[in-house]
Amino acid sequence: MKRLCGILTLSLASGLALAAPGVALKDENVLSKPSATSAAVGKMTKGMAVDIVAKQGGWLQVKAGGKQGWVRLLSVRAGAGGAGGNGLAGVAGVAGAVTQKSDPSRVVAVAGVRGLNEEDLKGAKFNAQELAKLEGYAVTASQAKAFADKSGLKAVKIKALPKPDAEADGETL
Amino acid sequence: MKRIFSILALMLGTHVASSAAFDLGKILQLPEENKQQKTEQAQQPASRSSGLSPLMLLGKTSVEDEARIGRQVSGDLLGAAPLVKDDTLQRYVNTVGRWVAQQSNRKDLDWHFGVIESEDINAFAAPGGYVFLTKGLYKRLNNEAELAGVLAHEIAHVSRKHHLELLRKSQLIGALSQTVSKEIKSGDQAVQNLIGNGAEMLARGLDKEAEFEADRIGAVFAARAGYDPWGLPTVLQDMAAINTGDNRLALLYKTHPTAADRLARLGEAVGDRFDSLPTGKEFPERFYRIK
Repeated sequence: MKRLCGILTLSLASGLALAAPGVALKDENVLSKPSATSAAVGKMTKGMAVDIVAKQGGWLQVKAGGKQGWVRLLSVRAGAGGAGGNGLAGVAGVAGAVTQKSDPSRVVAVAGVRGLNEEDLKGAKFNAQELAKLEGYAVTASQAKAFADKSGLKAVKIKALPKPDAEADGETL
Repeated sequence: MKRIFSILALMLGTHVASSAAFDLGKILQLPEENKQQKTEQAQQPASRSSGLSPLMLLGKTSVEDEARIGRQVSGDLLGAAPLVKDDTLQRYVNTVGRWVAQQSNRKDLDWHFGVIESEDINAFAAPGGYVFLTKGLYKRLNNEAELAGVLAHEIAHVSRKHHLELLRKSQLIGALSQTVSKEIKSGDQAVQNLIGNGAEMLARGLDKEAEFEADRIGAVFAARAGYDPWGLPTVLQDMAAINTGDNRLALLYKTHPTAADRLARLGEAVGDRFDSLPTGKEFPERFYRIK
């Protein structure tokens, strides 16, 4: 309970008293705790609009169909409606680190930023000097290992993920 | 010998401030004697003299040819968007990236990572171990696990040789056989003939399945490195929340499935498989933030 209060405080502090919108990517039970073994308190169905309240590891706390509880991070996508988001704060925002507001002036500012488009890439001229600079930043395997050791990053044995069945793909959403 | 000295001069001229380890003895070796070290010499591809290996016609590319293609693509990309002028940032990204790359099946490549000057939200990989992300994407990241996740997705493209496969499938392979048979072009020209403008390949993108695969492999590489496995999914969630019509995502969505599709597909593969993993590290405190 203490931790939940902490998350709530954080959300309020960063101006995110309102939850971020999301859409369910699949049918899934809404659980009482961020753990697969906890009890179901409700159910969300694919395509359902949900409110994302908090994030913890691989879990999102959501409000779905009037119930509040936890679902897997990959079972919901942030952003409301259609195929894309609406520029409101997403999961990262809920996590308390990024606060994007739906601010019309921001959208205008973004539209003025010239991106890295196809034409830029097609017309690009080889830059040997920048390439040399890039290669100068190289880190060796042993330097990387020393960095990992120093910071307590331990290599873990993890099996590759299987390719999901073609039939079960979620590309329609 | 004169050429070698000029390479050395280049190294000294441009790398004095760099803390990259380099061995003077290795630099003074002729490239032919030390093929493994070639990419550490900051040679310009134009100084190469041989054509690409005919093996590529058989669907096999030597590590050396792969690196040459990668350098051509990278040099072209850097012509469109130079590196962010921040040595600490670039070294940090190379350190995290190299540690993640050590968890791949291609840890012997000479890996290079760079943050490029663009407000776009995107990341790129080129054959041979070249990985880039834009400043626009970097600034959205909240911790080192998210950085590791993004880099791991690109490392996965290199590890699965997705871009080489794209080259093989394209009709440009014909240009290669021409080059090899004529043997009149310089090494750099051979690569150029093969791939055209290297950066253009990045604008074309890979097929959707390659992107879904890189998400699956990338999430695992980052977790193997000891990071929180949810870094990449969290970045995808962040992208999903941005309007798909946003200019900064234009090229990303031209070359990638939507973030929503990627989340759904990754979710099917992950299921409960990460439930038993040890808690990974995120390092929000030490994560380097661009000033």
